[in-house]
Amino acid sequence: METTAVDLAEERARALVGRVERRSLRVVRAGDAAEFARAAGETSRRLTDPDHAGFVVHPMYVVSLLRGAPGAADEEYRPDGMYRDEVPGTDGLDVALMAGGQDVRWTGDVRPGDAIEVRRTLTGVERKGRGAGFLLLTVVKTYGTAERGTLAEVTERFIVR
Amino acid sequence: MRGPHETPPPVGGAERAAGEEVPPVESAPDAVRLLRFGAITRNAHRIHYDAEFARSEGLDGPVVMAQLHGCLLHRAAAAFARGDPGAVRALGWQNRAPARAGARLVVTGTVRETDEATGEVTLDLEERLDDGTVCCRGYAVVVP
Repeated sequence: METTAVDLAEERARALVGRVERRSLRVVRAGDAAEFARAAGETSRRLTDPDHAGFVVHPMYVVSLLRGAPGAADEEYRPDGMYRDEVPGTDGLDVALMAGGQDVRWTGDVRPGDAIEVRRTLTGVERKGRGAGFLLLTVVKTYGTAERGTLAEVTERFIVR
Repeated sequence: MRGPHETPPPVGGAERAAGEEVPPVESAPDAVRLLRFGAITRNAHRIHYDAEFARSEGLDGPVVMAQLHGCLLHRAAAAFARGDPGAVRALGWQNRAPARAGARLVVTGTVRETDEATGEVTLDLEERLDDGTVCCRGYAVVVP
């Protein structure tokens, strides 16, 4: 039977299970967090106005960021616009990528000035569906700072087909 | 049932009964919103803005980002907790069906349970299109 791109992705992903990767999202800026909130359609000044006395960073901001400033270099992108390393095992393969869902638990509030580090581990690789089916990858991420420890824990699922 | 965006009554964890409704929250993220959201999150995946590419992936057109679905669910949970975004301690969802740019999305939900010891209220949440299609099914844990 011919080996498909999904087969290759599965093989590569299984070899990556348990490997810990770290990434910096750089320093959280109030203006960026407010821009995120506005882009998400929020209207509360607590989320959209950094000058408001009760301003807080939208809890979804940091966990939605795919990269920190200044973004990625050209060679870090796949032809489909995703980052080559965003979905483990898929770099260079002609596969379709979709988000499957997330579980987020906040253990602290992200504040302007926080330098956010992400620790990411692929924890699960499952073949689903009939026929060639698809891959369901599970990635566990923690977001935090050196000073304040973990602020959010995320379990994210990706579909590869 | 209260209408979208109306302020829910004051809450206290132990006062929320299982089955109580979460006030609905709605949004219709159009192409402009997707572009803005993709830019600030540095999400350049072409399924969110390139119609031809999206169709090549089997989609009807550009689709709403998973994180933007998450933001709408978060808004519904925060609104239930009197608009306090910090009251949402956990949020989870499964993407069940894509939502095209411009489609109206409505998040509804009910109280699943309350924990009198911690004050946490767990909500079951659902995000649907106007035709009834479930785009996301999830939950939130709030501490009002």
